[in-house]
Amino acid sequence: MKRHAASALLVSFLLSAAGMANAAGDAAAGQKKNALCIGCHGIPGYKTAYPEVYSVPKLGGQHAEYIVKALGEYKSGARSHPSMHAIAAGLTEQDMADLAAYYSLGN
Amino acid sequence: MKMTKLPMTKWFLLAAAAAVSCGAAYAGDQEAGKKKAAEVCVTCHGADGNNANPQFPRLAGQHEDYILHALHDYKSGARKDPVMGAMAASLSPEDMENVAAWFSSQTTGLITKR
Repeated sequence: MKRHAASALLVSFLLSAAGMANAAGDAAAGQKKNALCIGCHGIPGYKTAYPEVYSVPKLGGQHAEYIVKALGEYKSGARSHPSMHAIAAGLTEQDMADLAAYYSLGN
Repeated sequence: MKMTKLPMTKWFLLAAAAAVSCGAAYAGDQEAGKKKAAEVCVTCHGADGNNANPQFPRLAGQHEDYILHALHDYKSGARKDPVMGAMAASLSPEDMENVAAWFSSQTTGLITKR
């Protein structure tokens, strides 16, 4: 009986640990961090004005892993974009993971 | 408006009729884009741009002009990616417009999220 209880305890701990915020990102936390994102990405049909004019990409339903990759590229300058570089530069890895988790919940 | 003094009116009406008959909300041709996507894009992005593999971006429902912008950047090297660079290099400007229209026209796909 003791062994079953110990295993049950271990399993339940692991299950709860999986739900905690980690590198995989916490969508609820991401929703609180997106003040800088809404102004462009949250407005339907919003277009950039500089350096070129084109629609700001839709993020809702995008793969979290890909959003993290893109944010990293904006931060490093691998993708060149002044606004996105400035915004990404202010994000930690956890921020990026949380925002990505939030935006990945879409359609 | 005096029709006799404005020959341009005839051309305007013709152009308007042509535009309406195209029914195009997109710059590219969706059907041609579907065919091209099936040749070039499907392996990573899925037939309709709803791919399961999270390494590659979901394209379904994305803004047409944004997809075009990204393809242009991959072709020019402004965005560096060995796979996408090669993909974009194989697409003509017309191909790019067409695949962008195809993916953008998907009704199940990305959304603008606040």
